[in-house]
Amino acid sequence: MTDSNQDSTISLPLPAMASATLPAVHSEIEAEVVSLFDQFQDRLFGYVLSFGLTVHDAEDIVQETFLSLFRHLQLGRSRRNLRGWVFRVGHNLALKRRSANQASGINVAYDEIATAHSCPGPSAEEQIAFSQRQKRLLAVLQALPEQDQRCLSLRAEGLKYREIAEILGISLGGVSMSLARSLARLTRSEGRE
Amino acid sequence: MRDKDVHLHTHLSDQDLLLFADGELSVHSANRMREHLAACWTCRARATELEGAIADFVQIHQSRVDGRMPPAAGLRASLRAQLAVAAATAHKSRFRLFSGVFSRQVALACVALLIVAAGVWRMRSGGFRSMGGAFQVQARALPDRTLTPGFTRDVKQADLCGRQHADAPPAVDISTEQIVFKEYGLPVSASKAYELDYLITPELGGANDVRNLWPEPYTSTAWNAHVKDELENRLHEMVCNGQIDLSTAQNEIATDWIAAYKLHFHTDSPLPNPENRTASRINHASAWLVALQLPRLSVFGLRPASNR
Repeated sequence: MTDSNQDSTISLPLPAMASATLPAVHSEIEAEVVSLFDQFQDRLFGYVLSFGLTVHDAEDIVQETFLSLFRHLQLGRSRRNLRGWVFRVGHNLALKRRSANQASGINVAYDEIATAHSCPGPSAEEQIAFSQRQKRLLAVLQALPEQDQRCLSLRAEGLKYREIAEILGISLGGVSMSLARSLARLTRSEGRE
Repeated sequence: MRDKDVHLHTHLSDQDLLLFADGELSVHSANRMREHLAACWTCRARATELEGAIADFVQIHQSRVDGRMPPAAGLRASLRAQLAVAAATAHKSRFRLFSGVFSRQVALACVALLIVAAGVWRMRSGGFRSMGGAFQVQARALPDRTLTPGFTRDVKQADLCGRQHADAPPAVDISTEQIVFKEYGLPVSASKAYELDYLITPELGGANDVRNLWPEPYTSTAWNAHVKDELENRLHEMVCNGQIDLSTAQNEIATDWIAAYKLHFHTDSPLPNPENRTASRINHASAWLVALQLPRLSVFGLRPASNR
């Protein structure tokens, strides 16, 4: 160790520099959260809506999720798989909101939502056939266990099996079994035509 | 993903087919599957059926979202505003933490750096406008759609009619107010010409939310806050009489309230002498603006005295 003059002049301002970087870190985290928001907000919004929540509730939950993400990063917590983290928090908030809504008697029916958006088909007959088919598929979906519906929705939002397993707290094999089972049911409902 | 032992002479299970299609298998297992599928029409037909079920599900999943997704720009603006508040409070608490340890100059340097960093970030990200150009005081009869797309509460027609003026307009807290003025790049010196207004009035189900608030010029344009009041009252009447849908009314006022005024009052310019109905105005905002003007008034009051 050399104890030269140079060393002491360099080491003196160090604590000041350390504290001066703190605000810069804040704005960096802010920018990072906004960028993650841009990447995932529409997917999270779609997933949260699949709980049968209103658009207002879904917006609230998306906002709340990314605010939590900001606090999570601010506290210097794990950055491993932030996409999975965002969906896990959104999932929990959606569950909480839904049970609060159910307690106060607010409910959104899927049927109304899905049938309200009929696809423009070339002929009226085809449109009717289409919406009948949609209704039948919807009935099959709604009869699925909650966990299976969540698996499908998460997969539809582009998540990997490992992420789905983490969000729902089930095993990897559980995810692939659930997805295969649900899709088999949907194919069977087609065969009955 | 775990390695799957694929038996080439028995058919593949739905689970295996799905794991393969979803790219969840190891390279080795995937190769074995591919080999099997090349040879087996039955399994390929089943895989196609499963793909069909996936397509069906995706369509239903999409239909839940289609047309219901709010504009991303509005959501982003709101998130940014909330992040700014969160960062400010977090900074304050850290500030307190460090003030005992470091000198005052260091603390001041932190604040200066925060301001510079925030400025640089905003300019780079383009999140807030009018950093470079001069702010046009007269040109805000309509709000910036990206900052103020309009935002509603979850209410129905029956909630808004019936009880006459039972609900006072919700008070907007100071921080929300400051966020809105800041988002619009409004200098404090220009704020006397504005008042914070709901784009969709609470009487029509508008929410107390930064996405539904903008600084509206009070008198500097013909299309000012008083004129908008007239439209709000007219639309509220129409909604309660069942002449117009609540959502249509909300949409009209959020999209272009001036066009809505022209439509419903059958005129191309604001009608003269509108009554001063200010029920839905935010008194709190006006009080705040008056408070800001006070020091200026006292300066003017001193001038004649010094001339004497």
